Formats: sequence, C-alpha cells, structure tokens
Amino acid sequence: MSKQTQRKSMKYEKKEYKKTRTMEANWYLSSYNYKFNITHMQPFLKKMKQKKLIGNKCSGCNRVFYPPRLVCGECLVKPDRWVDIRETARVATYVIAYLKNEEGEVEERPLVLVQHDGCDTTSIAELAPGVDVKDTYIGLPVRAHWKDEPEGGLEDIEYYDLMEDDAEDLQ
Amino acid sequence: MDKVGIVGYNQVKLYSDANYGRYEMIFEAVRGALDNAGLKKKDITTVISATNDYYDGRTISNCFTVEVGGGYLADESKVEMDGAHAMLYGLMRILSGNHKLAVVWGGSMPSCYPYHSARLYETDPTWERPNAYVNDVTASGFQMRAYMDKYDIGAEYIANIAVKNRKNAAKNPLALEEAQNSNITVDEVLNSDAYSDPVTELMVAQPCDGVAAVLLAPERQALKITDKPVWISGVGWNQDTYYIGERDLSTCTSMELAAKQAYDMANINDAKNDIDVAELHEAYAHEEMIFTECLGLAEKGEARKLNTSIGGDLPINPSGGAMGGKPPCATGLIRVIEAVKQIRGEAGDYQVDGVNRAVATGQIGMCAQNNIVWVLEGGGE
Ligand SMILES: [Zn+2]
Repeated sequence: MSKQTQRKSMKYEKKEYKKTRTMEANWYLSSYNYKFNITHMQPFLKKMKQKKLIGNKCSGCNRVFYPPRLVCGECLVKPDRWVDIRETARVATYVIAYLKNEEGEVEERPLVLVQHDGCDTTSIAELAPGVDVKDTYIGLPVRAHWKDEPEGGLEDIEYYDLMEDDAEDLQ
Repeated sequence: MDKVGIVGYNQVKLYSDANYGRYEMIFEAVRGALDNAGLKKKDITTVISATNDYYDGRTISNCFTVEVGGGYLADESKVEMDGAHAMLYGLMRILSGNHKLAVVWGGSMPSCYPYHSARLYETDPTWERPNAYVNDVTASGFQMRAYMDKYDIGAEYIANIAVKNRKNAAKNPLALEEAQNSNITVDEVLNSDAYSDPVTELMVAQPCDGVAAVLLAPERQALKITDKPVWISGVGWNQDTYYIGERDLSTCTSMELAAKQAYDMANINDAKNDIDVAELHEAYAHEEMIFTECLGLAEKGEARKLNTSIGGDLPINPSGGAMGGKPPCATGLIRVIEAVKQIRGEAGDYQVDGVNRAVATGQIGMCAQNNIVWVLEGGGE
C-alpha cells in the first residue's frame, strides 16, 4: 500500500449500511448410495459368525490386514491369502471422547485403536463400559468381547475387555 | 516442449449400474494400465486423479482412492474436472523433470447418485437457481436451439450425429450396452422422449459408471517402456464465462481458443488436412457439430456436410464418443485413450485406416464452458 492510499484509507469512515444479503438455498444431494464390494469380505464375515477372526495377507509385502482390505496399496495387488489372527490385541493409541448421557451429564469414554496379535493394521474400537479413562494406556492388552449371538458383521465384537498385563519391563 | 509420451492406457467396460464397487473399478483401471505397459507399482512416481467430492459422496475424495489409484506413499494430487484436464496436470508434472511415470486416472459412478440433479447445484444461487430449472440438460437446450437457428439447421442433422455415434458404439466392446445400437434411425432419435425440447433422450450422452487411466512418461523412459509410444504434440485449454447469458451459444469460444493454442503448439495450419481422426467429448449430439466447427474441421455452420463416419472424409468419434457412455470425470480421458488406440492401430472393429495424428477433447461445465484439446501423434523415434 502506498503512503497516499494509506492516508486515504485512514480517513475513510465506516458507514453503517448493509452490504450483503444472505439467501437460503439447498446444498445437498437427496441421496447417495455407497456401493462397495462384498465378495472379498465373505470368508471374513463367515468366520466372525463362528467367533473367529481372520485377516487377509498380501503376498507382495507379507502384511496382514484386519479388517480385510480389497487392495494392498504398497504393492497395488489384491491380498490373496487368509490367515488366522488372535482375539487378543493391544491398544495402539487412544483418544478420550466426551459424550453426553441421557441425563445430560458429560461422560469420558476412551476410544481406542487396537492391533490384534498376528496382524499389521489396527481397527477402531471401544473398551468395555465402566473402564476408567485413567486405566487406558498405549500397549494395554485387551481381548475381543463377542456378542452372544454373532450375526456375521463387524458389530459382532461389542467391545474389548481388559486383560491382565503380564509384560515385564526390560531390565 | 520436451517430448512426453503416452505409454499405457486402460478403460473399464462402461455400465449403467456396475455390479462392483467404485474402489475395485478404480483398481481395475489403474492396474490394467500398468499391465498394459508392463510396469509395477514401484515405477509410479506421480499420480493425478480426476474425481469430484459430490460424485464420490466424500469430502476430499482422493483420500479414499489412494491405494487403488496407485497413490500409496507417492506424489499424489487431484483435479476436480474432466480426466482430460487431469492429464494436463500430469503432463506438467512430467515436464517439471522430476518424474519418470505419471498415472492419470479419472472416473465416477453415477449409479450411486442422481447426476442431473447434482448438476442443478452448478448454477448460480442468486440469479439462476431460484427462478429457473437450469441444469446441464436444459442449458444444452438453449445451446442446441441457438445453433440450429443461427445456421438454419434442422433437428434431423443433429439426430444424425446421435445415429452415427450409437452405431459406432455398437462396434466398441467397452461402450455402454444401452447406447449400442446398430439399427438406430434418425426418426427413432427424434421421436425418443423429450428431455428438454429440442433435446431428446437419444441425443444425450448417458452418464454411466466407468474409470479410465493413462500413463505418461518423458521421452527417454517412454522409449524404454514401449516401442509404440504416442507423443503429445500440442495441448490447449480455455475457460469461458460462468454466465450462460454472456456467451454466444451458437458456437463455443473456449473450444476455438483451446484449439488455436493446441494447433500452434503442434504446428498445425490446416486442421482439416492435418488431422486424421477426432475423438470429441460431446455431452449432446449438437455439441459434436459445434466442436467440429470450432476445431476448424469444418466451416461455421457446415459441420452437417462433413462425412464423419468411420470410412468418411474425417472420422469423428469412431468409438461412439461420449454418446457411447459418459462416465463423469472419465469421458475426456477415454477420448484421449481412443485417439491413442487409433494411432497405435489397436481400435479393432472401429479402426480408421492410416491414422498418424489425432485430436481428442475434454470438457466441463454448462454448455461446455471449459474445453481442453489434445493433439497426439504416432512415430516411435
Ligand atoms: Zn503388499
């Protein structure tokens, strides 16, 4: 800004009048149908129904994905093998969410990323109700808590129960 | 400009309601393009996609297409326009000298959302949206009538373009099945349902599910990868005003200027004789005639006299063009691929004899607001 303009703009008095007008309009699509593949999920969902966990493995990089993935991005190929993974897992990282309950009180709930033993990826999960936020830490051992009657879906694992941490610190 | 070659390509079969997810469709297109050139994921140095948040049902939608599009831990970016525009970004990436292989892919899946309704929201919220039902189809009606009136052209000439393209599409195994019709007549086109008079259903390129991908490489790499590279000898692009009311709809100024830029770069003085085949992104039958004139392939108002069939004076859209299926964000890129196929002699039943130089166009916006023109040439050395 030149000095002259600056001087001019300093003299400028702000007038009180409306310069804009807003109008209500829509900005939405009436609907969106998300289409996704299910064929590569079928063996996984079948096993879930039997309270068993499997992940798929990429033969290019040997990584195991849980939940199963359609494509390994690193190798740009489809993972082609199924491997069993265990229902025990460790908390990879966590965040504290604040949720209002029915009485309007704010509750603290940890939301966790768990890594099952035997796989290379983590999944988003919740810890058992009643777990104190202060008890959550990275590396916390947990175990999948199944629904009584699994239906073959990701919701079959309701939440994760805490396990006793028998890991010893390295001397 | 340094030489940049198209070294691989792939397009998936077009469907009105594909029996597989968008994620897998992208994978099929990109993986197929790499296989076409005999390359691996490791060879990719940059990835440019053409998609649209609105069409993908996700915000910043290239977040989700990373793995299947080849962008995993790679230099990756997105263009929210036609795939032919994404190729421009890919070309610039290669010309920067930092990249050895660019993957350019584009596509969408309109079986998941109402395409023509979505395009209502392309219009201006203060001037156009409240008082008129203006979307891509009605806007094209303005355009078609303006063109017909200016040069005194009957609707049968425009229907004729739809007939030619739908017949050509019947020879293209990747075209949309609903668009393929080898027995279609001008009367059928004229008597099909009115979309917005004078535009009838069969004059409209049907939005459909599809993804396409091309691979670009600088000269040295291109010659290592394939003995049949297709070279980019010219490109031009131009944006017209947003307001339809400010444009002369009987022509397409942005296409004219884009063509001039591309021809200057490719040293083309006489487009009619220098170009062997054209693949145009005509969203509506009449747009093919307007584009033909703006590209200098016919005089103004004379496009109807040009024989543009596969064996004709100057074949236009031998693959069926956008009329053979218009996957949003992929159509322009498919035009480029079809031009490449013609130059490499890989077009099968719709191959035009002796093609060495082809032009391909892409467009975006109401009444083809923004256009891009590619001039491609063969010749291995
Ligand atoms: Zn892998």
